[in-house]
Amino acid sequence: MKTYLYLNLIPEALVASHLAPTEFGPYLATGTKKRTRGQAIFFEVDPAVENGVASAREAEDLCRPHEDGSPRRSTYLGIYRILERVPLAALGRLFLTTDDGRVLPLEKGAYQPEPGRSFHLYQEFCPVKPRVVSSLAPSEFVKRITDPKEKVSVPRIVFAEMKLEELAIDPEAPEVENLPYPNLEHLRDCLRELSRKQGKPTKTVVRHIQQDILFRTIRGGFFVGDAGGLLHYPMPPIEDLESKHYAWWRSALMTFGH
Amino acid sequence: MLTNAFYLAPLAAVTALLFAWYFHRQMTAEDEGTEVMRRIAGHVRSGAMAYLFQQYRVMLVVFLILAGLLAVLAFGFNLQSRLLPLGLLAGGFFSALAGYFGMRTATAASSRTARAASHSLGHGLRVAFRSGAVMGLVVVGIGLLNVTVWFYLMNLVYPAHEGDGHNLVLTTTTILAFGMGASFQALFARVGGGIFTKAADVGADLVGKVEAGIPEDDPRNPATIADNVGDNVGDVAGMGADLYESYTGSILAAAALGAAAFIGQGQLQLNAVLFPMVIAGLGIFLSIIGVFVVKTREGASQRDLLGSLSRGINLSAGLIILASLGAAHLMGIPNPWGIWGAVVSGLLTGIVIGKSTEYFTASSYRPTREIAEQARTGPATLVISGTAVGMISTTIPVLAVVVGTTMAFLFATGFVTTDLSTGLYGIGVAAVGMLSTLGITLATDAYGPIADNAGGNAEMSGLGPEVRKRTDALDSLGNTTAATGKGFAIGSAALTALALLASYIEVVRASMARAGQVSLNLHGDREVEVAVASLSDFMEYFEVTLLNPLVIMGIFLGAMAAFLFCGLTINAVGRAAGKMVEEVRRQFRDIPGIMEGTAEPDYSRCVAISTKAAQAEMMLPSLLAIIIPVATGLVFGVAGVLGLLAGSLATGFVLAIYLSNSGGAWDNAKKYIEEGHLGGKGSDAHKATVIGDTIGDPFKDTSGPSLNILIKLMSMVSIVTAGFNIAITLL
Repeated sequence: MKTYLYLNLIPEALVASHLAPTEFGPYLATGTKKRTRGQAIFFEVDPAVENGVASAREAEDLCRPHEDGSPRRSTYLGIYRILERVPLAALGRLFLTTDDGRVLPLEKGAYQPEPGRSFHLYQEFCPVKPRVVSSLAPSEFVKRITDPKEKVSVPRIVFAEMKLEELAIDPEAPEVENLPYPNLEHLRDCLRELSRKQGKPTKTVVRHIQQDILFRTIRGGFFVGDAGGLLHYPMPPIEDLESKHYAWWRSALMTFGH
Repeated sequence: MLTNAFYLAPLAAVTALLFAWYFHRQMTAEDEGTEVMRRIAGHVRSGAMAYLFQQYRVMLVVFLILAGLLAVLAFGFNLQSRLLPLGLLAGGFFSALAGYFGMRTATAASSRTARAASHSLGHGLRVAFRSGAVMGLVVVGIGLLNVTVWFYLMNLVYPAHEGDGHNLVLTTTTILAFGMGASFQALFARVGGGIFTKAADVGADLVGKVEAGIPEDDPRNPATIADNVGDNVGDVAGMGADLYESYTGSILAAAALGAAAFIGQGQLQLNAVLFPMVIAGLGIFLSIIGVFVVKTREGASQRDLLGSLSRGINLSAGLIILASLGAAHLMGIPNPWGIWGAVVSGLLTGIVIGKSTEYFTASSYRPTREIAEQARTGPATLVISGTAVGMISTTIPVLAVVVGTTMAFLFATGFVTTDLSTGLYGIGVAAVGMLSTLGITLATDAYGPIADNAGGNAEMSGLGPEVRKRTDALDSLGNTTAATGKGFAIGSAALTALALLASYIEVVRASMARAGQVSLNLHGDREVEVAVASLSDFMEYFEVTLLNPLVIMGIFLGAMAAFLFCGLTINAVGRAAGKMVEEVRRQFRDIPGIMEGTAEPDYSRCVAISTKAAQAEMMLPSLLAIIIPVATGLVFGVAGVLGLLAGSLATGFVLAIYLSNSGGAWDNAKKYIEEGHLGGKGSDAHKATVIGDTIGDPFKDTSGPSLNILIKLMSMVSIVTAGFNIAITLL
């Protein structure tokens, strides 16, 4: 029975499992008795690349099939400060799982900078979960927030860029009512502050997101990185989501969240 | 001897049935799609048929009991026509038969529509619309055939040219009472269907969407087939039975009023009686022409699709305006221009109500958008706004009915306001005018659930995005046409109930004659023969004035009946939905693999739960429609009954519009946000509109439409039990 390794972001943990990603996602989202539901975001981890938590052999030893021969769904190999210990080179595809268990795999891709975009809205997922606005592009944002010389920093970070529509250019843009975020005026205030204070590149909008996020609001895609590098996981275009990943897309549209 | 014009009506009825058969054959010749599509359609079909047969079993028992009671009144006490028990059974049977054919066609058409949509939008529209036309044509065909065959048979027993016009009065009032069978069948179909559909819908949404996070029409949801079945039993069988009853009721009421208005005028009287049947017959031919006009090109926009349907409806309506003018002249109807004006008034009233419904419920207009705006501050403000819009939306339909009725009255009388009988005949003819093109307007109604089910089938079968876009376009069009159809249903109910109110007095007259009473003793020692007494004489005899407490008590009771009925049906949906929620939760818990898609849910059990709940819950509200008028008649007599009917008509009509429009507006405010406005799907605003939509579900699909029938059924029951009221009354 093949043993998979997953770096789960909600909560942060390294997990061994006999379930393939498309089975592991629904298990995380809805549990075994289907009485729970909640989004799941996880990376597949290459067991061949050494990570600082558990070796491939340890994982296989700990993750044994049940006595009746059925697969072991999850064996937690480590929790807390896991992201910083798993090297970027070990990270494979990223899986976004909706709250009813539909799984979308994201492949790594090249990041194309967007010159002329004044502001960005970032949702951080790991190791902390604030939502921030920033005047920094993703690559600069990663460098800054993982820079140990900064007063506020983390060793490594996973985040996604979210839609801002016209606000990305102008905090006073009038046509923003279709953005799904609560308290839009507060978001606008944060952007105004960024535009006023030149020396302040980042401003927290929400200290800690407590609900599921709306996957449809992700633009550009996910990023994971540190001072040494940045991986980009672009979201497929909507046309592809509608045609190739329709079940996931439809489920993602159904989720209530922020 | 009946004139040749009469035979146009049964000929039209048979033609309608032949074209229904032709369209049905065309539909069944279409490809039903893949194995999965056929399997899903099979689940929906068997669920719908299981519901229908269960409902018919219950109805059969109730009808046999009612027929037995009426037989006792007729044969034991001579208080009824002896044909009434048979007429009751026939009315119920033919209404049920129309529902059966409509349901069979609709459930066979959904997968074929989805398949046709995979070829082109135009092909999908043709299959869905012509399948809807089967329902429309079956309803008008069977309805008009039932009316004309009874009229023909009664004419053999009581020839129209004999009895100095009284035979025609007797014939028309007797057949009118037969309408109770259709009314009762309609109430059961509407209330039962409404409870079924909303229990399944709310249950599927609450557990599927909200608890399990499963999207709509996802085959993992155990209630999703019941939800699709519900679309058929509510909007096909329920709406069909509702309009069958309105259609036959309006023709019969107008005929009875014509017999009374022109009594003693020989051929003129017969022509006035036949005129509504002829208009209905012409309407059938013109509806068939309209059906053939509905077609569209590939790549058509939503506006093009709506334009295509409107073209068919407008052509039929335009032609009936011309044809009715010709018919009025050729048949020698007195004041033909005036009577034609009444027909046009009815048609325009229906169109105005339909447009008003669309304005207040479609997201392209301000009221619904304002409701959606309120969702940004939460469900409370959304509910407040929707309630207010629903209330305000009653204004235009009420004014339309007021103006339409007034104009029909004035046109028919040649602006002689004292000619009450002719004016009431004009109102009856206006109701017939409104429903004359029912063949095509009902086709647009029945088209809605077919397109909706086709979308569900495409979704569950995993058809490509292009097909789903087409079925979504067809479905969205169905929502708009359904709003217009509901407007016609409500408007026609108001006009028909008004006509029935007047017909009630005619039946009272017939009952008094049957009881042997020859004259009315009026104030000032004035004595008037029952046979020739005017409506005003009857009002005076029974002291039907607002100063009579019996009338006031009746009005109060009528208003109360409408609210009580609504409360009971709304509660029924809540209870039935609760049972569905429990069952869906149980299946998720007890059937492993549902969420992974490796195990199939027990769809039939959800259908059975909704069916059982609908049958159990519909009994009390339906029986109230019988008990209240009978009890009011027993205690307060004819004056009380007239007050009751006036109270229930005024309150029920306004309440029905309020419930239907607020529910429709909440539904479309949700859809507006789901299109991406104000935060789109998943936002807090969306969550608020989901709550509003759930509140509105029983409003717009159970209680609101059922009120149409309640007000007519109470009139019908009063008509049937008029003889009883004459014989026994406490006050």
